[in-house]
Amino acid sequence: MTNTHPLIQVKSLDLHFGAFHALKNVSVDFHAGELIGLVGDNGAGKTTLIRVLCGIYAPSSGEVYFDGKKIEKFHPKLAIDQGIETIQQSVGLCDNLSIARNFYLGREPVKRVLGIPFLDFAKMREKSTRVIRQFGLRENVSADDEVERLSGGERQSVKIGRAVEFMNRVVIMDEPTNHLSVREREHVNELAVQLKEQGLLVIYITHDIFQVHKLADRVVIMENGEKVADASTDALTAEELEEVIRQGGRLVEKREAV
Amino acid sequence: MTLSIAKPLIRRHAELGIFLIGAVLIVVFTLTSDGKWANFYNIGTILQVTATLGLMSLGVALVIGTGEIDISVGSTFGMGALAYLWLAAHVDPSLAAVAAIAVGAAIGLVNGLLVTRTGTPSLIITLGTLMIFRGISIALTEGFSFSVPYAARKGWAYFGLGGGEFLGFNTALYWLIIVLVILMAMLKAMPFGNRLLAVGGSAESAHSRGVRVDRIKLSAFVLCGVLAAFAGTLEAGKLGFADGSMGRLMELQAIASCVLGGCLLAGGRMSLIGALMGAFVLSSVQSYLVVTGVRPQWFILILGLIVVIAAYGDRSLRQWALRK
Repeated sequence: MTNTHPLIQVKSLDLHFGAFHALKNVSVDFHAGELIGLVGDNGAGKTTLIRVLCGIYAPSSGEVYFDGKKIEKFHPKLAIDQGIETIQQSVGLCDNLSIARNFYLGREPVKRVLGIPFLDFAKMREKSTRVIRQFGLRENVSADDEVERLSGGERQSVKIGRAVEFMNRVVIMDEPTNHLSVREREHVNELAVQLKEQGLLVIYITHDIFQVHKLADRVVIMENGEKVADASTDALTAEELEEVIRQGGRLVEKREAV
Repeated sequence: MTLSIAKPLIRRHAELGIFLIGAVLIVVFTLTSDGKWANFYNIGTILQVTATLGLMSLGVALVIGTGEIDISVGSTFGMGALAYLWLAAHVDPSLAAVAAIAVGAAIGLVNGLLVTRTGTPSLIITLGTLMIFRGISIALTEGFSFSVPYAARKGWAYFGLGGGEFLGFNTALYWLIIVLVILMAMLKAMPFGNRLLAVGGSAESAHSRGVRVDRIKLSAFVLCGVLAAFAGTLEAGKLGFADGSMGRLMELQAIASCVLGGCLLAGGRMSLIGALMGAFVLSSVQSYLVVTGVRPQWFILILGLIVVIAAYGDRSLRQWALRK
């Protein structure tokens, strides 16, 4: 995998929010066809890092390359256009809009009448619910129901369904199994592996070390805004991985030194 | 309970409250005004006022829908009226109207750019521009009024732009209907409307989905300016003259219309038809006070009372509807 050039290359990334130093000199490579587990404690900078990758935040300094090309402007629209789909943890759904409207927000399918773009409601309703039902949306919920009235799991299923529908080259999942039942969780994890096998880059953020150890090819561990370790899951057992996180990455450094 | 059937309907349609209030007021006004309120001529007058206030309210509703607010519309209305009258005396009224609308668009652009580029709350920005453009209006007219000479108040364009009547109603009413249909289509059935409501619902989420939040807000401010200036044009067309204070305090009525009509000031939830009904209710109250001989200075006081009572009533209704 590492002999091909990385799909996403992050070089010396720094991000400040006022006085808060959220990302400190982070460099990491991600390759197509890889499933990366991004782990670390709360506030470690995982979500901040992926929010740079999906264009929500612009870095204070450092560079991001996508497919060999340096990213000059950071905006979610540009990232989406390049084929980066993200299942965000706390943002991504507008409570006041229906499921169908949320599903297609930003890239609504249209039918043109005299050149004027009108929303293609039939397609929006039919397709959105068909995709989302696979991830646990109840049969009696309609595409016209507002997202506000959905349960936590159903909200998550809307975000996952949307990423699957539009997935292209990269799928970033920020705690994707939150609020999901055991069966739906398995479904999402199978999905992550499937996407990887289809040649996509999958970045999977989680707190569940044992789960990520089973799924991922490689884990990137962050702490206090820094990348503290980056190791293949073949090289570490899940217990060792847990120990690494507890010690802030020192175990891996020791191993590499050996 | 049979009433509980109405709950989902009220939840889905925030504008129902203002329609109930409107219905009650129509009955009360009809019964207590001895035929002076509910007659064809007076209703026509109310609808003319509703048309200009309504156009302004529709624009404000769009801005409120994005989670911002535009309180400069009263001055934009005045600027539109002055631009129209000044030009209509020299060129064809249709050209004058286009110029007036361009003035409105420019004011909207200034508001929108100041809000989106500086990140300053729109309340304070548009409060500033409210005063700036009011000041310019007064300076331009130097205490006198702009007017179109009687001899020039003729022709299709002049009549069509609020200066005449069609089927018994001032032509402004037909413009209102056209604008309402266009805006409803944009809001409900086009990508722009989807994104506008998304921005108001959660700007952060809309941004994460690739929506250009600032552009949507800017478009809403420009549309709002256009509609306010166009409303000013139609009012100027009807009166044939305007002074520097034209449209003063109308911004407050427009905002009241929106809120009474079910637009949430926090954004994301709005009803164009509700905002219009709000404008109709306010115009009706004004007319009722005039025809029953209440002194005009009481208008603003009674208007305020009605706004407070209606807002409270509407809130109670919605809270009831949200209870399981």
